[in-house]
Amino acid sequence: MEEFLSKINENFINTDVEFETINIKVDSSQWVETHQKLKDEFDLKFFSWLSAIDWDNEVSIGEAPKESVSPSFEIITCLSNVSNNNLVTVSTTISKLEPKITSLVEIYAGANWHEREAYEMFGINFENHPNLEKLYLPDGYEGNPMLKSFELISREVKPWPGEVDVEGMPEEPESDESVDG
Amino acid sequence: MVNTLDPQNFNNFSEASVSVEIETEDMTLNIGPQHPSTHGVLRLVAKVDGEKVYDVKPVLGYMHRGYEKLAEVRSYPQITTLVNRIDWVAGFSNEIPFIAGAERLMEIEVPERAKHIRLILTEMARISSHFVFNGAYALEVGALTPIFYAMEDRERVLDLIESVTGGRFHPNFNRIGGVKPAAGSGPTTKKDIQDLPAGFYRDTKVAMQKVIEAADQFQNLIGGNEVFKKRTKNVGILTAETAEAFGVSGPILRASGVKSDLRTLTDYLPYDQFEYDIPVGENGDCYDRWDVRVKEMVESAKIVLQAIDSMPSGPLQAKVPKVIKVPKGRTYVRAENPKGEMGYYIVSDGGLGPYRLKVRTASFSNISILPLLLEGALLPDLIAIMGSLDFVLGDVDR
Repeated sequence: MEEFLSKINENFINTDVEFETINIKVDSSQWVETHQKLKDEFDLKFFSWLSAIDWDNEVSIGEAPKESVSPSFEIITCLSNVSNNNLVTVSTTISKLEPKITSLVEIYAGANWHEREAYEMFGINFENHPNLEKLYLPDGYEGNPMLKSFELISREVKPWPGEVDVEGMPEEPESDESVDG
Repeated sequence: MVNTLDPQNFNNFSEASVSVEIETEDMTLNIGPQHPSTHGVLRLVAKVDGEKVYDVKPVLGYMHRGYEKLAEVRSYPQITTLVNRIDWVAGFSNEIPFIAGAERLMEIEVPERAKHIRLILTEMARISSHFVFNGAYALEVGALTPIFYAMEDRERVLDLIESVTGGRFHPNFNRIGGVKPAAGSGPTTKKDIQDLPAGFYRDTKVAMQKVIEAADQFQNLIGGNEVFKKRTKNVGILTAETAEAFGVSGPILRASGVKSDLRTLTDYLPYDQFEYDIPVGENGDCYDRWDVRVKEMVESAKIVLQAIDSMPSGPLQAKVPKVIKVPKGRTYVRAENPKGEMGYYIVSDGGLGPYRLKVRTASFSNISILPLLLEGALLPDLIAIMGSLDFVLGDVDR
């Protein structure tokens, strides 16, 4: 693990380790070559998943970020090795106005469905994808449900946290108060 | 496609020099979404040329419930209830990586006893999932008998899960920091209420012996059957390289000869305290995928028996704040579930619920190889190959 980490640090600039997971941040222009390198030189052949995060200050549901963020999409992939516990996530940030990035299908065939999911859920275009069409959502469905601006209809009727949904939310916890097991 | 009948082959007609051109058409066969062998509502649009399948397009989304969106408006304890329903055949296993992720971000040390109870129940969930597979798969390739044995034996394991958690399929038993006080346990004191039900150890020992016997029985009843062997050996061969690129994990990956198990690679539960084997296959065909799962049941039963013998005493819950707030941060916790790698990527902003929760399920990646595996397969093998992947639609669509 330490040897692997030092090799990662030699090759990539923007890295950090959080709970045994190595995170690499790259520019979207280096998206494909980073993955190629990680697969060939770092032996990360197992493609675990790809997904995106919609960073936005204005949300229609849930909680808005506490600190102001610059609105953008963060795309994340998770790669690992089947014979040891090396685990790497690669992330990049792309503009919300023109959300596009090159597809990884050429390198990891398993990225195909994950990219289709991100395409329908966030509206991110994956260039060079062989078959970029909806995966889950029915034909004719409008909108991208995983966007923070997308409204969850049941929530319009029942604001959260509502009295019907959960018990009234307790106040801020006192620091020493705890549930005894 | 045009097939020309060569008149030379028909001696009687050769003098007449007949040349007949028969036009054949590709047929599109729609399988599902309501089809007993699809384990839920998967639809396959297959293009067939006679008996040969040459193009398959899986159509998903009939079971899409939008967990990732729902998770953004729920608090952490509420999400535990939701995630039970992802892979409903092994509901308990789904809770483990999510709870472990939240605990990791909150930096809570879970008591050993709670960890052991989690481990026992998640192995029981694995056994019950593999029982369903054994019964259903045999049914799919034409054997009616095994499912009755499998369901009977599974019920014994589900009864145990129910006696501890109160639920057969959706236990909702994990709490951040430990496990829920067991249902139906001793009547009076607080200490009694919080422990496992009376007779649990004894019943478990009996049930696990039965599991080992049942696996042996399946090896004879299913694995010893000539028809079953003919239907599954050298059918749907998957190479390790392809499996890794597609993110195929769990028993399917191991059947392709890769000795990879997250129970030994990671430390989400104390598996390092027990001795067990990791069964691997050789050819990566349907038979190996079945074989690996049967052998895994025995190993799981062995783990449970060891865990019961070495059960530590102590509390079931760590001290946690009354209001669960997860500090800002992100983590990905993965676990070896019956169907493969399941993990949750939690992005927390310090609120009551996650800012974003990515659910990585095993079956989703596992069935993404279907188009590749089914290319060139015979139509009857389609069911055999599909069944050997052991997917659950709740786990595919989420």
